[in-house]
Amino acid sequence: MPGLGTRAPGFTCLDLKGRPWSLDQFRGKVILLRFWADWCPSCRFEMPVIEKYYRLLKDQGFEVLAVNVKQSAQVAEAFIAQMDVTFPVLLDPEGRMAESYGVYAIPTNFLIDGQGKIREILVGEVFREEKVLKDVLKTYFTGIGS
Amino acid sequence: MFSGLGPLPAQADLETLRFEGRQITVKRDPLTRLPLTMRAAGVPLLEIKRIAKLTRDQITLTGPLLARKYKKFLQIEPDELRLKAAERVGGTWYVSYWQTVKGLIIYESSLGFSIDSRGRIQSLGALLYPRVPLPEGIKVNRNQALKIGAGQIPDFKKQAYTLLAENILVYPERTPEAIRYFKVYAFNFFPQKALHPASVVGGYAVFVDTQTGGVIHRETLFKPLGCCVPENWVPPKPEDLYKGIFGN
Repeated sequence: MPGLGTRAPGFTCLDLKGRPWSLDQFRGKVILLRFWADWCPSCRFEMPVIEKYYRLLKDQGFEVLAVNVKQSAQVAEAFIAQMDVTFPVLLDPEGRMAESYGVYAIPTNFLIDGQGKIREILVGEVFREEKVLKDVLKTYFTGIGS
Repeated sequence: MFSGLGPLPAQADLETLRFEGRQITVKRDPLTRLPLTMRAAGVPLLEIKRIAKLTRDQITLTGPLLARKYKKFLQIEPDELRLKAAERVGGTWYVSYWQTVKGLIIYESSLGFSIDSRGRIQSLGALLYPRVPLPEGIKVNRNQALKIGAGQIPDFKKQAYTLLAENILVYPERTPEAIRYFKVYAFNFFPQKALHPASVVGGYAVFVDTQTGGVIHRETLFKPLGCCVPENWVPPKPEDLYKGIFGN
């Protein structure tokens, strides 16, 4: 797993609509890169918390990239429709991107700053308490309360 | 192996249709042609009265109710659903189910939706399979299958692998042209050292055909440990679905 303060591994992968996405296109933005799967219970109930902050901070340069690991596009699409989230969902059907990030548990979250450096690594169920995500984001965004 | 539907002619990605006064946008699975997503504009797919007063058990009845109302599209019976999750986050319920065939869960199948604080279900997501052909009985016993599954794991004995979950499932194998259905034993194996909370070691899932003993699929597993054994939830009888608490 890459260490804190190191450059996030580059990637190019497709989203649910077949559009390519790469890390380079987000330079200058703060990214929550989240690896998930539909069988993981905490992936399910953490999604709405992330969606809330995505909607709140999107215009301030916050991006969420939710990477489905080793499942089909149909599985990912059905799940995302159930959760009614609006952030981009990327597909990693072979798990190669997850491997390049050293992911060993689902969910795993990387917070990447505007310079492309990894600032936080959060493994497992961490966002059930909304405060955790809020505290992580407070460093980068103003106006989300104390 | 039992083959299901073959490919159907390609159609537009999204279609809009009208149903009981609703305008619904549907995206279909390219192989089954069943909805992957259904989204209603304006009038919701379903509206539940007095949502704030409902218990979790009552909330879990909404899936079967939705399946009955939209059977024309979803092509499943309400009692084919088995609860996967029902969680309330903020004021919104998130509810999802597996599809079952003859009591067996179809691997990675789903029907799910959110219910907002006013009781509205505006959209759903689904991965469902119509008319699943399934063999009666099994021809390979569990212990034989377990041995076959364990044989798929490198260094099984050396790493002291443990069987952490098992089930009999329907495994839909999707190819670009068709879906083939297998009645399988699903085994989740993790090495002993993976059991420590701080361990970064993963495991394996192995799917063994109950008819031939063939290995249908093997994949590496991430933590959390286990992924294939569902909760024990008994679907309601159709007559129990309406208790005067649901609208529409």
